[in-house]
Amino acid sequence: MLTTAGAAPSGARADCYSEAMAAGSGADPGVALGREALAYVDALHNLARYLTGNAADAEDLVQETYLRALRSAGQFAPGTNLKAWLFRILRNTHISMYRRRRNDPTVGGLDTVDPDTQGTADDAWLLGDLDLDRLRNLVAQEIEEALMRLSEDARAVVLLDLEGLTEAEVAGIMGCAVGTVKSRLARARATLRQLLADYAK
Amino acid sequence: MDCQDVRARLLEDQRGRLAPEIRADLRAHILDCAACARTDSAERALTQVLDRGLPQYPASLALKRRLEAEWPASPRVAALAATAPAWWRRWGRSLVPALALAAALLAVLPLYRALVPPFDARTALVTEAVNDHLRVLASQQPLEVQRGGIHQVKPWFEGRLDFAPVVAFDGDAEFKLEGGAVGYFLDRRAAVFVYRYRLHAITLLVFRADGISWPEHGLAPLGTIHASQLASRGFNVVLWRAGGLGYALVSDTEPGVLARLAPRIVEG
Repeated sequence: MLTTAGAAPSGARADCYSEAMAAGSGADPGVALGREALAYVDALHNLARYLTGNAADAEDLVQETYLRALRSAGQFAPGTNLKAWLFRILRNTHISMYRRRRNDPTVGGLDTVDPDTQGTADDAWLLGDLDLDRLRNLVAQEIEEALMRLSEDARAVVLLDLEGLTEAEVAGIMGCAVGTVKSRLARARATLRQLLADYAK
Repeated sequence: MDCQDVRARLLEDQRGRLAPEIRADLRAHILDCAACARTDSAERALTQVLDRGLPQYPASLALKRRLEAEWPASPRVAALAATAPAWWRRWGRSLVPALALAAALLAVLPLYRALVPPFDARTALVTEAVNDHLRVLASQQPLEVQRGGIHQVKPWFEGRLDFAPVVAFDGDAEFKLEGGAVGYFLDRRAAVFVYRYRLHAITLLVFRADGISWPEHGLAPLGTIHASQLASRGFNVVLWRAGGLGYALVSDTEPGVLARLAPRIVEG
């Protein structure tokens, strides 16, 4: 039975794989890597589901991700973050499999809050405990709807941050600078706060 | 450390990634700065909402089994995977465990049906319906739109729900329509209608039925609908589906009264 990776800490590294490599015990490192990689299937599927927007494409994306990971297993550097490596493969696979064949206007969603107005937006709606309580009482459907209104990249950054990955790791996955991740995450979260505040009214 | 520095580091602080001395500076600033304290609260509230409320989509057991079967037991299998035709790499090998799983399910399903009572879905729905009914009763101002008939109550929901509640019964002398409100049923918004039968309140919840596990057996015909009639904690509940919507009728009145009212909800 596979274990779930939803609660896996960000610091979790390729322990089984690294141990097998370090010990030189005769254990097949490919098998050890596979065992470790499969532990992240729930986290990968969750991101795939939010990127593709439907269950069937998410399953295909995860399956293709593992296939590519299997073919590239030799390129994985022991001691680095296996979870982040798998997320990077998943994102690149998503771009090559889905984005180019889709002409979907929702690909470009909301993540363009003017940073200059961000503080004003906070001040405008978070005035007291009552507002915070309203926000906390939002139901799952509303939170998901708000997240899905963000652009794909903004959605991915928010979800990868929630997975506990560092900004440097997210930058590696997204193929951009750490500063870009910082600003993109700040804008995405500001947009989410505004959207959720609207729901909470 | 100024406000801009502090706000740029709030998330790192939440994640426990700041060095102790920087964190001490940041917390000291927040204690003295009401604006940054509000932003800090906002960031924490958002993280809390996402952590607790954002639906998670774990991989299905079937996908896990497929992947587990596909990962190579030896480098030889990896070599085979790399040299197999593209269509086989992508789909072919996944069919083998999927077919095996389907065969196993076919064999086990009758036994499962015989051993497991088919009431789990009903129990969850009934519990939610009764809880929602109690929320309506306990609320000081349960109804956001009062009386006025169904043609006043139904239009009130426009823009407040992502579906149109199909309710044809306007109420009569026996079942008076008291009004409506927007509520929640499980993880989705629901239209709440309240009827009055003598001194009993009857709550009708209408919600999107997609994605909800619904009882398939033990349905009784009530007029044109087929419904489950159940009881929980002294309340009687009637559940049915029609046109992609789910309906739950809840009250402490007799089951026969709800059985009379249920078909009239859809038939008028």
